[in-house]
Amino acid sequence: MSKAETLQESEIDNRSADSPTPYLGRSVRIVGPHVNVDMNQSPHPKNARGELGKPLFNWYRNTVSRDPLTRVSAPNHFADRRQFLTNIINRSTNGKVNPRRVAVDDPAAMTRHIKAVALYMGADVVGVAKAHPAFLYASGGGRYVQDGTAKDEYQNYSPEELAHKFPYIIQAATAWDYNKLQAHRHHIGDAAYHVSQMKGVLVLKALEGYIKELGYTALRGVVTPQAAGVAGGIGELGRNGLVINKNFGARVHMPDPIMTDLPLVADEPVDIGVEDFCKICRKCANTCPTNSIPFGDKVVHNGIEKYKINWLTCYKLRPYVHDHWGSCLTCAVVCPFTKPNVWWHTMTVSLLHACPYFARPSLVRFLKWIDDRYWGVVRNNRVRWLGYDSGVKPGEQACTVAGCNASHEGKGQAVVGQAGYYAPLKENTNRFVKRDV
Amino acid sequence: VAFQFPWSKKTSHRDDPYWDFFINTTPADLGNTVTEMLRKAPEGNVFPAKTELHTPEITTRHVKGMAEYFGAAMTGIAKLAADDPTNPEGFPFAVVCAIEAEYDPRKSPGIGGQVPVQNGLFITFVLSAWIRELGFRATVAPQPADEKLAAQAGLGTLSSEGRLVTPQFGVKVYVANPIRTDLPLAPDG
Repeated sequence: MSKAETLQESEIDNRSADSPTPYLGRSVRIVGPHVNVDMNQSPHPKNARGELGKPLFNWYRNTVSRDPLTRVSAPNHFADRRQFLTNIINRSTNGKVNPRRVAVDDPAAMTRHIKAVALYMGADVVGVAKAHPAFLYASGGGRYVQDGTAKDEYQNYSPEELAHKFPYIIQAATAWDYNKLQAHRHHIGDAAYHVSQMKGVLVLKALEGYIKELGYTALRGVVTPQAAGVAGGIGELGRNGLVINKNFGARVHMPDPIMTDLPLVADEPVDIGVEDFCKICRKCANTCPTNSIPFGDKVVHNGIEKYKINWLTCYKLRPYVHDHWGSCLTCAVVCPFTKPNVWWHTMTVSLLHACPYFARPSLVRFLKWIDDRYWGVVRNNRVRWLGYDSGVKPGEQACTVAGCNASHEGKGQAVVGQAGYYAPLKENTNRFVKRDV
Repeated sequence: VAFQFPWSKKTSHRDDPYWDFFINTTPADLGNTVTEMLRKAPEGNVFPAKTELHTPEITTRHVKGMAEYFGAAMTGIAKLAADDPTNPEGFPFAVVCAIEAEYDPRKSPGIGGQVPVQNGLFITFVLSAWIRELGFRATVAPQPADEKLAAQAGLGTLSSEGRLVTPQFGVKVYVANPIRTDLPLAPDG
């Protein structure tokens, strides 16, 4: 079967009775015919083939980070690939499905169990989505696992067949550390992002192995993570293109989910007011250093109504800032939903959830005013962590560890004030980037 | 659903019919366990350029801070004897990390019972890789005297059966394989 035929089939099936158009909450809607995403056309594979130009290719393939922690925690910037845990885990050979299957009498009890297992292993959020062909990568493209491989005997199945045979998708996510995340566009923020990403890879691999031990199949690299997150009730899709969770805001990973035939009960999409907030707030669009986030309304892209970020301009900045940081994270940090997971945050999100739709715009304006007033329009806190200090200007070197009397030759000492310096500053980039009107 | 105080962080698994399978059933295929993948992983190279360090006391603080960030409940530094036959490479220090273990991993072979081991391997893998990237030697090899080293690093005291007892968790603690290193550190205890 050629690829074109498969795609047409999936279009037809989306509207058929077998798989009705799924409800994804208020933030995303499937409105037209959707062509399944070919994973080979996603940013990293495109870049790995050199289709995005030399600077990006060299950044992705040939750049070793100057920062020791980045060398062990960030994809593709290691000096020795054996030091990067994700490589070890994702390239390991998989075990076999246990022939002695554990009987599941009550799918609800099994759902509670799988969620408890994921949390016990270290996940912060778990959701179960009902599989739908539209969530899957196009058939014929293979599986997609970053920094690794996934192969299974179902590679030739069409999305419809897969969704029928494996009706559930488990998405487990880890959250980024709030305090370190404040140093976005800095190695400290990278530590928040990359270390929890490795932990997430570990948890999902362990969960995949456990499902196989229960006697059921677990597929990886099949499902679009964002779709699984939104459908599984982990959060709503924000203007910044990130899934926003009620406890952690935008600071959760959307790792590669598990598709399985384990009998479960699917969660419903949630409503935490992201839809109403994103219409008004625009903090991420204002602070994005590359203006990749739209200021305007939602658009219909590939049959899906959502805010469409410009991934290429977001991606293109990376080689130029590689000395200072690896992952930008600015849109996640400034998002008013991104707060410590404490009672006042829970209370505010519950308030938004309970608020009737007509009153939400005024509540959102009030909450955004509070956020601008107390957390700042632009986040530039100075963060210090284990010898890293975001108060040291990019390109300068200084030891600011209290009580350190080691001789650091040629390093500055004094750093005053509580401002963090995050390269590049917005005013240095926005004049070069045309806004997408 | 079992009764639970809303502020209690521990979840009860008493009404979960599959929990015993998770904790106690030995995996049919070890290839399904992350612990096996990490145990088999080869060690990487030491980065050729040494990172400029702070004083040993501050480096110790940073190593402990890093271990804590990776998930260790307690971290200690033990001084190793240079003429010890179990230490042929002459490493001066061992970094010992301990993790809270609700179930004893020696008695619970299930994937759930091995979760402390899994977390311990995560910590020691990333921490030792980080030390090697700093430009110093670091190796994680299972040693019979893990708990003795942990006591020596000031994490707790040894019981009469040779188990580590800590002030925080009692005996419900798992000692990860120590990282032996030549990174200049300040030993505890």
